[in-house]
Amino acid sequence: MKGRFKTFAAALVATCAITAIPANADNHAGPSMADLMNDANSHGDVLTYGMGPWQQRYSALNKINTQTVKRLVPVYSASLGGEKQRGQESQPIVYDGTIYVTGSYSRLFAFDAKTGEKKWEYNARLPDGIMPCCDVVNRGAAIHGDKIIFSTLDAHLVALNRETGKVIWNKEIGDYKAGYSATAAPIIVKDMVVVGNSGGEFGVVGAVQARNVDTGELVWNRPVIEGHMGTLNGKDNGITGKTNATWEGDLWKTGGGATWLGGTYDPGTNLLYFGTGNPAPWNSHLRPGDNLYTSSTVAIDADTGKIKWHYQTTPHDGWDFDGVNEFIPFDATMNGKKMQLGAKADRNGYFYVLDRTDGKFIGAHKFVMQTTWADGIGKDGRPNFTKDGRPGAPNGAEKGKVVFSSPSFLGGKNWMPMAYSRDTELFYIPSNDWGMDIWNEPIAYKKGAAYLGAGFTIKPIADDHIGALRAMDPKTGKIVWEYKNPAPLWGGVLTTGGNLVFTGTPEGYLKAFDAKTGQEVWKFQTGSGVVGSPVTWEDGGEQYVAVMSGWGGAVPLWGGEVAKTFKDISQGGSLWVFKLYNE
Amino acid sequence: MTYGRRAFLGGLAASAGSLALPRMTQAAPLANVKELGVLRVGLYSGNRPWSYEEGGKVLGIDADIARAVADSFGVKTDLALFPADEEVSDDLRNVVWRGGLLGFRKCDVMFHVPFDRDFAAKEDQVVILAPYYRESFGAACSSGLPECEGTPTEFRGRRLAAELDSIPDFYLIGSFGGILRPDVTHYTTGFEAVAAIKDGRADLAVATDAQIESALAKAPGGDAKRRKGPLPAMLSPGWDVGIAVDEKSRSLGFAIEEEMDAMMASGRMAEIFSAHGVTWRPANAVQV
Repeated sequence: MKGRFKTFAAALVATCAITAIPANADNHAGPSMADLMNDANSHGDVLTYGMGPWQQRYSALNKINTQTVKRLVPVYSASLGGEKQRGQESQPIVYDGTIYVTGSYSRLFAFDAKTGEKKWEYNARLPDGIMPCCDVVNRGAAIHGDKIIFSTLDAHLVALNRETGKVIWNKEIGDYKAGYSATAAPIIVKDMVVVGNSGGEFGVVGAVQARNVDTGELVWNRPVIEGHMGTLNGKDNGITGKTNATWEGDLWKTGGGATWLGGTYDPGTNLLYFGTGNPAPWNSHLRPGDNLYTSSTVAIDADTGKIKWHYQTTPHDGWDFDGVNEFIPFDATMNGKKMQLGAKADRNGYFYVLDRTDGKFIGAHKFVMQTTWADGIGKDGRPNFTKDGRPGAPNGAEKGKVVFSSPSFLGGKNWMPMAYSRDTELFYIPSNDWGMDIWNEPIAYKKGAAYLGAGFTIKPIADDHIGALRAMDPKTGKIVWEYKNPAPLWGGVLTTGGNLVFTGTPEGYLKAFDAKTGQEVWKFQTGSGVVGSPVTWEDGGEQYVAVMSGWGGAVPLWGGEVAKTFKDISQGGSLWVFKLYNE
Repeated sequence: MTYGRRAFLGGLAASAGSLALPRMTQAAPLANVKELGVLRVGLYSGNRPWSYEEGGKVLGIDADIARAVADSFGVKTDLALFPADEEVSDDLRNVVWRGGLLGFRKCDVMFHVPFDRDFAAKEDQVVILAPYYRESFGAACSSGLPECEGTPTEFRGRRLAAELDSIPDFYLIGSFGGILRPDVTHYTTGFEAVAAIKDGRADLAVATDAQIESALAKAPGGDAKRRKGPLPAMLSPGWDVGIAVDEKSRSLGFAIEEEMDAMMASGRMAEIFSAHGVTWRPANAVQV
């Protein structure tokens, strides 16, 4: 107990020290590491994915507020052009009069922040043999000094000169021929670029890598499945977990756990928090045990790449409940005690609060309509699995028992990031209510040969909505308000000191809600579905809001009854920027 | 020998509800291939003995059949290797009817497609035809292993090998209460799993017949033998292998089928298989 308070005090000092550093006056040199760590408190720019290392997606700016938001009008719309439209899941970066956005097909654009005029565009040259499973999206870039850095579908990290768009370095982070790819926004910590990996293919193993931001050289690598050796400065740095503790045979070697959504960072504990994907193979009956560290959050020491703690949200996953969702640090007083916490809204439908210093379970609450696979999370942090909630094992040529499962494999929440308001002390979770029939196939075909697969069909579970933006009180687990949307929500959330919550809808709207009541106070039709993450900043005394529009991502690729809600939505690809109309 | 697959195919397509008569008279796709002088063929990468790359050349049974077919049309062959997606449905979408999202150009024909009534019924964008081989699973062992013909529970404690994410894999790790699970080592392909016996890394491998025969004949290393008896409780009785063309390219599909018919009748097909160490077995669908 004493130890925890000591850590807390140290973290507090560290945070204050960072806040005290003035913003870099010399813009030509570009943002420094201190600038990046201070991003949540600097209002003239947006330097990091999530607006600060904690990625709370909160800005104290309040010129745009529940009273003035009716005067919010577009300043410009900048098209990404070309035929390469599809899903635009990016979050803009704003620095020194320039907006940087990544686009579908691994492109990066620099626009004049005031006018929307294009400064330059970079198109990654991608091999045509990549067959991405879930659209050709990208979630954003990282900025540091003279560089703007993003990941590509062929699993490369590319650093460009932020003024010219010319390549400074380009490194492979995984072999795309073995199924690796990358779509997450990298984060920058201690002058290292930290990234996870994607891969839909069986055989991929999740890992987190840290690379020197100036050269792209690997500093450390940490595979997240037990049994794998990590490295630091080219030397072995310990095995993750204990080999064969929760996996039989050599299944850990190909155990899955892709870290495809990137992570968050807490300067106080110096820990990186990364979510890990579901285990392989699909049929859970073939891999008894918890299968660590899949469907988990792992806390990694930023200096050494060692795992300090782990917390598994879905032990022995059998429903495709990828645990990749963002773990967002926040501070709160609970039962009279000041706590260093973190929260995660998991695919499995539960919202978890943990002590971020040691991963200790604090509480978990349902944030979706229905969780059929478990009827709550026990005091020990393990789910109370529902009897018969798991799809059965195939029996010879017969498919395994079909079960109805909610949430569906696309999750109570998928990739789209939630936001935390320091004013209301609520989390705003973009969620979806949907279920699936799921079964283990006896025979399917892969590479033209027979194998055991899985089948599923996604179904709506409510008459009036699939998407739901929910305000969750992390202390009580109560849902304070909810907004229901006919089509699935698939975009990120922003909350502000103006008592506002912004998010987009597939129907094409960017919407603003009263952060306390959930009342819709503003909307604007962008012409295509909004699945990007909005941001806000101030320039010349005016507050701006920006978001990407362009329908796509994994949802349109899965049909069924859910597809009825978005079949008429047009694709697009443009950056929209708004400010208040002054009379 | 005559092959009655056309009659079978009629039933297959009719059951899928997609065989409209006017379509059959459209000769354009075959004419296009002849006019352009190139047959673009989609083949799996890393799928020895069927299709794989070595020293910059595309090798394998499927590659050789594709070349022979193109020769008979008097056109060049454009062999496009592509990576397997999660399921063959995804491969058909990427290779045959839509093309890859990142610029992988549609192929005129894709080889090594399961010729299966239920599967074909679900794939209404393509026509699956020309079944040219009957595939099934077997096992191979190091030459001194007495359990090779025994019941699988006797394999316990031996070094077992299988291709990752395949029926042989799930057979070994999932059957018999999972007692063999700790003994299984996974390889990227079935060929490699069998090759591991020859170079002393494994005692027993479960793989497809083609993988077993080709690795026993071609992989470097010492002696190994093929299990003669069937594997008890094997999850799949085997399947036919065919080709797929776009639903709008029936004329081309039929022309390829006719050529492959001729190759089977003349013994050319068996020769191609034999060059890769594999015994050609006609598909069940054509044994009328």
